Amino acid sequence: MVRFRFEPYVEFAKKAFSREATYRMEVFSNLGGVLIRLFIMKSVWTALYAHNAAPAGVPLDAIITYTAVALLMSIILEIDGTRLIQTRVREGTIATDLMKPINLVLFFFSDGIGQTLLHAFLIVPALVLALAIVHIDVPAPATLAVFALSFLVGYMVNFLLNFTMNAIAFWTLETHAIQLMVRWVSDLLGGQIVPLIFFPPVLQNVVLALPFAAIYSTPLLIYLGTITPEQYGAALGLQAMWALAFAAVSAVIWRAAQRHIVIQGG
Amino acid sequence: MPIIEVRDLRKVFRSVKRQPGLGGTLRTLFSREYVDKVAVTGITMSLEAGELVGYIGPNGAGKSTTIKMLTGILVPSSGDVRVAGIVPYEQRTANARNIGVVFGQRSQLYWDLPLVESFELLRAIYGIPRERYRANVDAFVDILEMGDFLATPVRQLSLGQRMRGDFAAAMLHDPKVVFLDEPTIGLDVVAKEAIRTFIAEVNAERGTTFILTTHDLADIERLCRRVVLIDGGTLIFDGEIETLRERYGTHRTLVVRLAEAAAAIEMPGTEATLADPTTARFRFDRRTVTAESLIRRVIDTYDVTDITLEEPDLESMITRIYRDGYDASPAPGPEPQAAT
Repeated sequence: MVRFRFEPYVEFAKKAFSREATYRMEVFSNLGGVLIRLFIMKSVWTALYAHNAAPAGVPLDAIITYTAVALLMSIILEIDGTRLIQTRVREGTIATDLMKPINLVLFFFSDGIGQTLLHAFLIVPALVLALAIVHIDVPAPATLAVFALSFLVGYMVNFLLNFTMNAIAFWTLETHAIQLMVRWVSDLLGGQIVPLIFFPPVLQNVVLALPFAAIYSTPLLIYLGTITPEQYGAALGLQAMWALAFAAVSAVIWRAAQRHIVIQGG
Repeated sequence: MPIIEVRDLRKVFRSVKRQPGLGGTLRTLFSREYVDKVAVTGITMSLEAGELVGYIGPNGAGKSTTIKMLTGILVPSSGDVRVAGIVPYEQRTANARNIGVVFGQRSQLYWDLPLVESFELLRAIYGIPRERYRANVDAFVDILEMGDFLATPVRQLSLGQRMRGDFAAAMLHDPKVVFLDEPTIGLDVVAKEAIRTFIAEVNAERGTTFILTTHDLADIERLCRRVVLIDGGTLIFDGEIETLRERYGTHRTLVVRLAEAAAAIEMPGTEATLADPTTARFRFDRRTVTAESLIRRVIDTYDVTDITLEEPDLESMITRIYRDGYDASPAPGPEPQAAT
């Protein structure tokens, strides 16, 4: 058995990082888009709160902090790190990838990490600019640490969800429509746009049990303190469960995909 | 032990049956009928280490499908495959370490990176020891004359340069078996020759096994002793090119330019045809008719201005096999002679 080597994957991540860095226009417009959305959301919430003081017991400051942090998170979470799967299946280059002694899941994963790292650098300027538009509450360091952990698990769920979607390309060659749909559903039901605690109680129970909540809602509610320290275990546990579930689904889909490969053209 | 062993290899593709017309298209969205297409119908062959084998057949014969099964990216419907003792589709990455692949129509170099950085990435991927890597890069840069464009991004390379880069890339990790899929397609004569020399050298010096798929039979004639021919997913010939030559290369053609236009032409012991009114072609069996006697008779009969003798080439032999199928009956004898 050959010993596992990290080197190739580190190289893939570096290559993805520098590749992303060459698309400067896209990086900057991404930043601009986030700030515009933040400004719009701030105006909407302020207007809504003018007529209804603190629905669900959430003050305006908290909701704006929620929105701002959600948008900052989206800089990382909206990257579809495994889009490369589709491109390579459609162009048929997946054939040459498969002829290399590499774990393809890790190949796509490290490419995604490389992209994520580049975009992570955007968080700093985005945060500075966001602070010019809104006030963002900062919780205690301990809470912040739990938030970071929860964000990481949420990142995994999001990544594996994307991976599963993109792997469908092995059968359909094109997954844009499915992905767009899943993206909208996950943004809405994941609490990126409206906190899930604003949903009617019945719907809330359903939505909180869905995997999408693990992506935005759980880390954000930890950040705000709505999820209290006594609830951390349950919240993180549920998130981790979803991450594991998606990992299992991804593994099954990947296995099936490898057996089902139809290389385009050639 | 053979390095490549294939037994009763079959591959059947299942695809959605398309209905004609817009209504049909809509219908296929909801109800699907499948059609099975047999791409490879039971191929058996084996290759010894160090062989350089031409794998040829018309388009759609099943060549690429076979190669994909040997490289482990396609799972056979049935049958056995082993490459260097490994079942490729079961141990894809272990198999990947033993093989190298060059596609004439698809580069595996990284488009945006300078050539040498693609090599570096491959070093990381295969975990090639630094010394070995250095030695290989130096050797390949030397043989393939890549010194001038090592630092050029791949997208700016000419096709000939890119192919040379692709060859080096496929060989950096010292693969035991290399699959070449139309490696000289679209190349000019000089580049073709450089590539052929490289293949011959690597084969001779490193004992690398090559399977060469190509439509350019000059590649085969220059490099291979053995050729495997498939058509319609079936193996129709596996043997030395000499055997093909003995069997299909029996006929030569004497091409004669006539001083005056002729309406009809005839010559005992030959198949005589008029290509145009002043060009006669006499096809004859070298085993029963000598060129000397035929030329003598032709000159005696006709007013001749020019004579050339066409030897059978692999191209025309293969064309005949594609058209008529391979005749495997033993001991091909001379064709019966027309009464003289």
